[in-house]
Amino acid sequence: MDPFLYLDRDTWVHRLDPRTKMLLLIGAFVLAFLFVNPLYGLGVLAVVLAFGAAAKSLVNLKRIWFILFMIAVMTVILWTVFGSGVSPLFWFVEYEALLYGIGAALRIDIMIVAGMIFLSTTRNEEIVTGLVKLGIPYRFAFAVSTALRLVPTIAATGSTIGQAQRSRGLDLESGNIIQRVRKNTPLLIPVFVSTIRSTNVFSMALESKGFGASKERTYFLRLAMGRRDAVVLLVFALMLIAAVTLRLMGYGGVEGFSR
Amino acid sequence: MEPAVSIRDLAYTYRGQKGPALHGVSLDVAQGEFVVIMGHSGAGKSTLCTSLNGLIPHFFRGRMQGEVLIEGRSTREGKVGEFAKDVGLVFQDFEAQLFSTNVALEVAFGPENFEVDREEMVRRVKSVLSQVKLEGFEGRQPATLSGGQKQRLAIASVLAMEPSILCLDEPTTDLDPIGKLGIFEIAEELKDRDDVTLIVVEHETEETLDADRIVVLRDGRIAADRPAREVLRDVALLEESSVMPLGVARFFREKGVEELPLTPEEGLERFKRLGWRVSPERHGELVEADEERERGYGEALIEVEGLSHRYPNGVVALESVDLEVRRGEFLAVLGQNGSGKTTLVKHFNGLLEPTEGSVRVEGEETAEQGIRRLGQRVGYVFQNPDHQIFSDTVFDEVAFGPKVRGFEEDEITERVSEALAAVGLEGYEEEDPFGLTKGERQRVAVASVLAVRPDVLILDEPTTGLDYAEQRSMMDLVRRLNEAGSTIIAVTHTMWVVAEYAHRAVVMKDGRTALSGTVREVFGKEEELRDAALRPPHIVSLGNSLGHTVLSVEEMLGVTEGG
Repeated sequence: MDPFLYLDRDTWVHRLDPRTKMLLLIGAFVLAFLFVNPLYGLGVLAVVLAFGAAAKSLVNLKRIWFILFMIAVMTVILWTVFGSGVSPLFWFVEYEALLYGIGAALRIDIMIVAGMIFLSTTRNEEIVTGLVKLGIPYRFAFAVSTALRLVPTIAATGSTIGQAQRSRGLDLESGNIIQRVRKNTPLLIPVFVSTIRSTNVFSMALESKGFGASKERTYFLRLAMGRRDAVVLLVFALMLIAAVTLRLMGYGGVEGFSR
Repeated sequence: MEPAVSIRDLAYTYRGQKGPALHGVSLDVAQGEFVVIMGHSGAGKSTLCTSLNGLIPHFFRGRMQGEVLIEGRSTREGKVGEFAKDVGLVFQDFEAQLFSTNVALEVAFGPENFEVDREEMVRRVKSVLSQVKLEGFEGRQPATLSGGQKQRLAIASVLAMEPSILCLDEPTTDLDPIGKLGIFEIAEELKDRDDVTLIVVEHETEETLDADRIVVLRDGRIAADRPAREVLRDVALLEESSVMPLGVARFFREKGVEELPLTPEEGLERFKRLGWRVSPERHGELVEADEERERGYGEALIEVEGLSHRYPNGVVALESVDLEVRRGEFLAVLGQNGSGKTTLVKHFNGLLEPTEGSVRVEGEETAEQGIRRLGQRVGYVFQNPDHQIFSDTVFDEVAFGPKVRGFEEDEITERVSEALAAVGLEGYEEEDPFGLTKGERQRVAVASVLAVRPDVLILDEPTTGLDYAEQRSMMDLVRRLNEAGSTIIAVTHTMWVVAEYAHRAVVMKDGRTALSGTVREVFGKEEELRDAALRPPHIVSLGNSLGHTVLSVEEMLGVTEGG
């Protein structure tokens, strides 16, 4: 399996400077948090998805649709049950609580989707270089990128180990919750052992390639903020200002919702 | 001139280990030399490699005595990073040392750390990629490369630092024969350069012929340090050191010849000069014995018809494959990395289901049986035992299969001792599996599959990462299981294992079966094998060039007349 989410496509989104994309990501988070009304949330989602479509990166969402879906369902249920509103819908559920639940679910999913598009369009090395240019120490930036890489790598190892154990008769599907959790031991221990082993080789390889040998280092990737970055940032900034104004004027909330 | 590497009385003991990994090792390597290091598992080969750039003593914890001088400077005096520029180290596990998102960035990582300016970096990326024949791959993700390409990339990423000493630790272990050849072609080019000193740890003897010198390690000491051809002629020394001797050399030694020839070409020439000949009658007996064995197989256990498999990402891994495996067979599945061999055998125990066509095990479609029920009939031993071992004791590990299938306590105990006896690990019940050697862990993995008493045993690369003695004993074990009635399917790159142990071979190429037949038939077709990126062992080539395919030194001795 491919341990990276990055999709090597040639689109204008890919060509943006990683710093621009980081700012856009933060902006998307702000937008997501601004509105709780799902109608506005859908608008934000549409913007984010349009971005993803322009980057030809929506295929990666297929990898996580189940997570997105589960988070959405759980959030909606939790807020509808524990929130309260003024107009009863059915049983003990109120219209406002349901609306708020949907809005909250959208918020979380928007952030995940935006993060996914960011990772699909930005190389690990670009993130590192971008962070360094923003003043983050190289070692820290490298650690961030290693962490990003580690998750999919562990997932790939886990999938091989899962096959090996299922071949031996491991059955994760039956039994009650406690039994099922305990059944994961044959998966977790080999994953743990293999990850530690390969991490050990990884750190030896890093040392052997002179990681941290000198205080300074050079970068193969060249970053430059161009006109494209400026235009995109400007458009996005205007959008953000408009959105904040709207919210301050009182639009985009859920009237009558209380916890 | 000062030697590139000078090791003086080096001893090293890892923390927590009783005995030293190396002791009393003294070795000088001159600039521009090509030295191969061989030896059994645990002989200290990797320890020696990691002592060259200062990982020992700086990275590992342990006690070091003696000294390692790199171009006159002791590794004790500086950090690993300082020596990394002079000593390039490539590890066996290439997956774990590639971490960038494309080939060019992977290569640039080392130079970046040494503050090489960008223009120079661009030049170096171009030049080392052409050295390892990966031009045009700059934008590719390392994960999408084949095993051989990944290892070549790992070498390139180290070469980009322009080290004067390059050390490769078992660079070819996980590669198919042609992938191996690619690595050795690189080695050969580097060897011709006077400014690069090459140190390679290798266990495949056939690949070491070009070295200037061979150093044989045994139990942490140097057992021999002589010119390559001299060491390769010393069949007894190699055997004592658990290193596989060359087939051709072994054959002529058995015949009492002095000044042993080493390669098939040299062998052929000597064979003719001595006026020997291959007896067609005795060769005919061998072929007849093959046929006799074939007639003895039982009913069809696995029937594959028109099997195609497409992965979810659209990659077609198999295309209309037909195959039949009968009870009692020993089938080898061969092919290049990515040719579809593993995909094929994963259909036999239900890990994968056909996209098209059918796979029947004991007459029933695998899709209908499900992996759990199929597991009773078809056992699958994965390549890396560490991907499945999880228990505190060997007993629990082996008992896992029978336990999850709900057998009684007595039955489980009986099956575990039976399985452990079969793999030669009686008395290991209470041992901690993580404390065993790789070869022993491999056996535990086999035992844990045997304890379910499957009819068919699938082994994925059963000999990878083992030394010659361990490989022999592993394969002798598999042969015993086969003779006791198990049907064996082995996926492997190790050609001599196929020649000496398997009955039948299927060669996969680009998702199709390129060749299929008895091992003798398949190994007789060297041309077609080469198309599928495979090469038979030397002794088989010698036989082929004499017009008769033999599969082992013993067979060659049996069919030779004269001498």
